[in-house]
Amino acid sequence: MKDTLDLVHRFNAHPDSRCWFVAWNPRGTLLASCGGDRAIRIWGKEGDSWECKCVLSDGHQRTVRKVAWSPCGNYLASASFDATTCIWKKNNNDFESLTVLEGHENEVKCVAWAPSGNLLATCSRDKSVWVWEVDEEDEYECVSVVNSHTQDVKHVVWHPTQELLASASYDNTVCIYKEEDDDWEVRATLEGHTSTVWSLAFDPNGQRLASCSDDRTVKIWKECQPGDGDSAEGTWKCVCTLSGFHDRTIYDIAWCRLTGALATACGDDGVRIFKEDATSDPDQPIFSLSAHVPRAHSQDINCVAWHPKEAGLLATCSDNGEIGIWKYKSEE
Amino acid sequence: MASHFSGVLQLTDLDDFITPSQECVKPVKVEKKQGRSVAKIQIEDDGSYFQVNQDGRMQKLEKAKITLNDCLACSGCITSAESVLITQQSHEELYRVLHHNKQSSSAEQKVVVVSVSPQSRASLAARFGLSSSETGRRLTSFFKNLGVHHVFDTSFSRTFSLLESQREFIERFSRKEEDKKALPMLASACPGWICYAEKTHGDFILPYISTTRSPQQMMGSLVKGYFASQEGLPPQRIYHVTVMPCYDKKLEASRSDFYLTEAETREVDCVITSGEVLKMLEEEGVSLRDVDPAPLDKMFSSVCGDELLGHAGSGSGGYLHHVYKHAAKQLFGVEVEEITYKTLKNKDFQEVTLEKDGTVLLRFAATYGFRNIQNLVQKLKRGKSPYHFVEVMACPSGCLNGGGQLKPLPDQSNKELLQQVEELYREERLSVPEDDTRVAELYHTWLESVGEERARELLHTQYHAVEKMTNGLTIKW
Repeated sequence: MKDTLDLVHRFNAHPDSRCWFVAWNPRGTLLASCGGDRAIRIWGKEGDSWECKCVLSDGHQRTVRKVAWSPCGNYLASASFDATTCIWKKNNNDFESLTVLEGHENEVKCVAWAPSGNLLATCSRDKSVWVWEVDEEDEYECVSVVNSHTQDVKHVVWHPTQELLASASYDNTVCIYKEEDDDWEVRATLEGHTSTVWSLAFDPNGQRLASCSDDRTVKIWKECQPGDGDSAEGTWKCVCTLSGFHDRTIYDIAWCRLTGALATACGDDGVRIFKEDATSDPDQPIFSLSAHVPRAHSQDINCVAWHPKEAGLLATCSDNGEIGIWKYKSEE
Repeated sequence: MASHFSGVLQLTDLDDFITPSQECVKPVKVEKKQGRSVAKIQIEDDGSYFQVNQDGRMQKLEKAKITLNDCLACSGCITSAESVLITQQSHEELYRVLHHNKQSSSAEQKVVVVSVSPQSRASLAARFGLSSSETGRRLTSFFKNLGVHHVFDTSFSRTFSLLESQREFIERFSRKEEDKKALPMLASACPGWICYAEKTHGDFILPYISTTRSPQQMMGSLVKGYFASQEGLPPQRIYHVTVMPCYDKKLEASRSDFYLTEAETREVDCVITSGEVLKMLEEEGVSLRDVDPAPLDKMFSSVCGDELLGHAGSGSGGYLHHVYKHAAKQLFGVEVEEITYKTLKNKDFQEVTLEKDGTVLLRFAATYGFRNIQNLVQKLKRGKSPYHFVEVMACPSGCLNGGGQLKPLPDQSNKELLQQVEELYREERLSVPEDDTRVAELYHTWLESVGEERARELLHTQYHAVEKMTNGLTIKW
């Protein structure tokens, strides 16, 4: 491990609570966090320190599990255990609650915007994945409810360029969805993990998908292209499994759009960075552990998020309520 | 086991694939008997429980039983109801009754009535390459050969549902200013939708739902009410079976609102799906193609000569079509010749408007499938629903695509099959509810004779909000 991951800042974001998730806005000027205190906080850098610009505390009745910025950066969506998803609109330095999306039977676990900004996906403990459409008047309508999983759905993520959706579940599988005849349907089910799949991340150009699991492995999946031997188009196969690196559940994974580095958040309190061997066969890629901070936080790490503009800047958050800002330096 | 219920019922708490014995959270009321506080419980080899008192006396303990009605009234799971249902409502149960009839003296025999839905007929017609009417005649013969006494047609009872929906709409429209929940009137024929509305949106949504009975339950009134009295039979001597395109109809038949307390019998004793009829044909080793047709039972069938008649509009009963035409004429004096459906978000969300000089007089919608129901409910909650009437159905594409319909053959796509079933369904000649003299006569003779209040009970029903359980036991980790 020649590369380094150094702490730049550490601050208490959700005191006496868990910090569940952090998300950079598209320009990288703001970091949104959410937690068990039912609040969403917006952080900005002032000189050398990170300051809370805004607290959105009146939107949810229970834990806020995930937050997501719209691709334009003007909207923030928050998914909560109170079974709702809130849409917030940014007005200068303030946020107003625009609408509340209801319909899930219980805890909403994740929310994600499609690259176009016109579609939103949510998933829940109710085992369903919903796709919502946004119109010009900021009205949201449900366009599909897919009951693809047999258990709690933990995470949803969109392909970086196409209207392709992926979900991860407590049923150990990953599902890939596409629109077909004005409804969304499952195109592929990725089986291989032996326990809960907690999170997913597409690579920068969307050819591969990384999944992380309670089985302590990371798997890299690749979509079969026409002419890939006997595999049908639209199917995904596992081309790499990273095992033996993590001592506990891997809760989150992030693929850096700028450097291609893969970061993981682990229940053993560690943050790890993996780098792909540039010379390896794309169908049998080799990833090696390039940096590891064993006790990055004093408790479980829930999220890793690469900065969208500044290569190597990484945000993490933990059960102890803290946010960490790290700088990853590669020797190359 | 995969659930047969519609997608709406399969969501979340309504679908957990458990049986009552495994994880039922329904608190069971136990008759507490005064006794001493200390006792042992002993389990016998046959699984029965005995309480052993301190003096050594043994007392058999009652088993806690969860009935289907307990399940329906509970906000917990619904699929536990499924295993209860299967024992009470299946084609095997029909066989059991028919078998019992053969073994019994005439005084103990039951008069068996089967009422077939037009959607089921169309589904079976597609499989056997027959017309819908021909399928009706052959099903009549098939059931009668098994020992069924009468085979009716629920298009006939649907005429009552359509007429009552029309009247109810006019009545609601007239009080729309003083009663904010008079409109939109939401159609009530789909039991999946009703169950979802009662369990999830309760008191908020129920006032909007039409109180008109579904065709199945209209037939229940006709068979156990009018027919029973005509035949001089007590209702419990009749065993009434319906053949439906939908599994959720079994839940509807089991509702306590459709139980005749005095006679201790349900208006519809057993619901079997189109698929279960196919299973019966297979068990008998016959193809409907080889069954000789029999004359139709005309007492409760919508017929013209030897042909069965249908209704205009959607394959889900045509509620929008009939209420719209009636309302346009009654309220605005407009004779609607053709209805133009405008497709909104997707093919399962359609809208119809009646305009005059640029103002919208009537705005109706058909919303099928869970996603569209969601948007409708959310619009209502936000006070943004522009509709006067909505034909709500739980299944995408409506009843012709119901969960109880025949599955496509291996070389057939679901879409192709659905198209075929729809064509067969539409081939039936149309009848106009207002012009049905037989129905008009029944309104006149039967319903007028029972009095206004009783007539209302026979033609309408009610809904019950299910309170969310706050019981800690319902939390699933």
